[in-house]
Amino acid sequence: MPRLRPALFWRARRTVSPLATLILPACRDLASAANELRWMREHIAATPSPMPSKMRLWFMCDQRAKGKPLQYVLGSQPFGHVDIKCRPGVLIPRPETEAYTTELARLLLSTLPPQPSSDSPQPTSLNILDLCSGAGCIALELYAQLQPAAQSGGHALSVLGIDVSRHAVQLARENVAHNARLNLIPGTTTATSPNNNADIRFEQADIFAPDFEERLVSNNQSQTQKSWDVLVSNPPYISSRGFARDTARSVRNHEPRLALTPLQSHKTTTAAATTTTESQQQTIFSSRLEDVFYARILALCQRLRPKRVLLEVGSMQQAARVVDMVAGGGPGLAELYPLQRAEVWRDDPRHDRPDDCRQESVGGREIRVRGFGEGRSVYLCRADV
Amino acid sequence: MLAAPWVCRSCARSLRSFGIPRPRLLRRASTNGATDPTPGIPPSLLERARKIAAEHDQLSASLEANFDPKTAKRAGEISRVAAALREFERARTGLGELQTLLTSDDAEMRELAQDDLEATKAQLADLGHNLSVALSPKHPFADMPCLIEIHPGPGGTEGRFFADTIFHMYQAYCANKGYRTRVVQYEASDSDGQKGSEGEIALQEAVLEVQEPGAYAAFRGEAGMHRVQRVPATEKSGRTHTSAVAVWVLPSFPENSGPGTASDVENPDSDFYIDPAEVRTETMRARGAGGQHVNKTESAIRLTHMPTGTTVSMQDSRSQASNRVSAWRILRSRIAAQKREAREELTRSMRSSVLSQSQITRGDKIRTYNYQQDRCTDHRSGMDVHNLPDVLAGGGSLNKIMDSVQTWLLDRDIQSVIAEEEAASAGDKKGGK
Repeated sequence: MPRLRPALFWRARRTVSPLATLILPACRDLASAANELRWMREHIAATPSPMPSKMRLWFMCDQRAKGKPLQYVLGSQPFGHVDIKCRPGVLIPRPETEAYTTELARLLLSTLPPQPSSDSPQPTSLNILDLCSGAGCIALELYAQLQPAAQSGGHALSVLGIDVSRHAVQLARENVAHNARLNLIPGTTTATSPNNNADIRFEQADIFAPDFEERLVSNNQSQTQKSWDVLVSNPPYISSRGFARDTARSVRNHEPRLALTPLQSHKTTTAAATTTTESQQQTIFSSRLEDVFYARILALCQRLRPKRVLLEVGSMQQAARVVDMVAGGGPGLAELYPLQRAEVWRDDPRHDRPDDCRQESVGGREIRVRGFGEGRSVYLCRADV
Repeated sequence: MLAAPWVCRSCARSLRSFGIPRPRLLRRASTNGATDPTPGIPPSLLERARKIAAEHDQLSASLEANFDPKTAKRAGEISRVAAALREFERARTGLGELQTLLTSDDAEMRELAQDDLEATKAQLADLGHNLSVALSPKHPFADMPCLIEIHPGPGGTEGRFFADTIFHMYQAYCANKGYRTRVVQYEASDSDGQKGSEGEIALQEAVLEVQEPGAYAAFRGEAGMHRVQRVPATEKSGRTHTSAVAVWVLPSFPENSGPGTASDVENPDSDFYIDPAEVRTETMRARGAGGQHVNKTESAIRLTHMPTGTTVSMQDSRSQASNRVSAWRILRSRIAAQKREAREELTRSMRSSVLSQSQITRGDKIRTYNYQQDRCTDHRSGMDVHNLPDVLAGGGSLNKIMDSVQTWLLDRDIQSVIAEEEAASAGDKKGGK
């Protein structure tokens, strides 16, 4: 981290506020220090408290100065149309995640028929599975964007978020209530009423558990017989080396490592899972540690056969490795998700210009790539959709 | 030229205002009413009013037979003119009767008529003015709320400080008037150190939204360069500096505008319509790994409208989505104002009339705030106010200036209608709107 010039501190003191000098080492530049200070002031003005506001501001700046992310200091982060509560121990929603979630919502909205078709016996349904949901941002944003269309079109919308962390699931449930209170999503208190056919749930489960697939399938079939339409996931994808070298200091020191880097134990349990075949085991053992979640999720995809899959990745190289896994990942996976229909979405998938799509070479394969920036997610689509 | 060898500028100005009367069309038209057969209004305009009234009668007759929303809309638009004309005609027949009474034999009657004559003439002039107002075309954005954008002119800190003063002036004015406002953007520049003499900050750019319907009509006269003359707080040797602040007034579309209205953003014919393919969106994120590696709040967004090169950047909110919405709002308003201006320019060049001289464009200075002389002057209406603190506090003095500008704008509109009518009748061309 380069040293900040003392002149910058003087300027921060003179032009913004003495408090800005406090948070400058964490913010690294004057413009963002001024912005963060303003947001803290706005937050204090918006949330009444018996504590004097000057003291609150000083406490906040003090915490921020120690490198605590602003989202933890303020306790929230706007994410698309929803507001996500943030707390230490759960990963903060990222703007890149917001960008591809918005794009996914746009895509799903365009596939939803506006009116229930009269010739089909039962109403269409849209079932979304969010693995490693964390604070629940992706699930909530998709729910918020799709619910009005589903309601008007008479479709059943069901969103299920799964996370291994008890804190994360608790926070995600709080976020559902929080957004319902803010009227950003329709309240779930009326879930029992017959005309409300939308539903969002969060459950604690370890996707590496041997009985996870059975539980998911049985849980799913117990309600009505339905299939998964969308599987979306933002799994841990940073290597140990990347964690030490590439992550920001506030990420390293304040965010949960469990949400960022896979563990060695994940690799062994994936390989030892009962459903994995010989060739899959081979792939898992030969793959890198940071890709182990993709191996597991793709194995789940083979079983659950979701129509669309969207996986966040860390870089273009990782996207290429995921595409490789799909191509060589056991019997049926490449047939199920043909590479001609696979896409890699970059940081900004340009949801204002949907046709912006080019063929590019990704790890030696010609894959469609969308948008601008670093490779951010891999999108798969089932052959028969 | 002047008898005195040296006269100070403000005295010279007052002398000049005696010497060369400012062209005030309405006054001229209304004062020679005794000889003019149609006092208060030029004959060509009256002709046009009659035409419109005839159309109104025809339309209302056809509306009685069968209702058609399109016809009803047009009838509603021109009913103002028809009503004003009716009032005017009634007053004129009254005047005619009085004049016949003047020639009567009865001395008492003559005296009474003489008394009434002045009052009726004044009334007629007023009604004539009303009729001209009704005839002058209503600005298409007049009913809308507006965005007031404040940009400091080129130059140093002084202009930035004054931009902040102007911002607070409009904010206070709206508060005094009871208009609802919202600060869309308020961005301080970080390049400079100290605060201004009254604690104002150096402003980079500010956008104030006045949410009152009809605010555009009230504020559209404020657009232009506002010039300040004062000794800056930073000035050591006490010299007066002159700097400028640009104020743009843009129509802002109401949030819940129905389809088919002029402010419908989805309608390609609307001024507010922008093809999303023509706009480049940039999110200003630091280059690097991104994703889970970084957790910095980077919600800034920049939109570029490529055909015109208009850019809007917004970083006020922590939410990128709401920054995007605000940025689109401002971009739409700017583009709509540009389209409107281009259209006005086109009609003006087609008319090629004398009016183009009185046209104030964005680059002209419209008002001067002089601190030493405690004076605020509007260069279009020629109004001088000698209570600068009250002006800057958005008080009654500012209201007085803004009213004078409104009158000036109205005069200009009427003048343009008259010129249009005269040109149409003289050239025997197709008279138009």
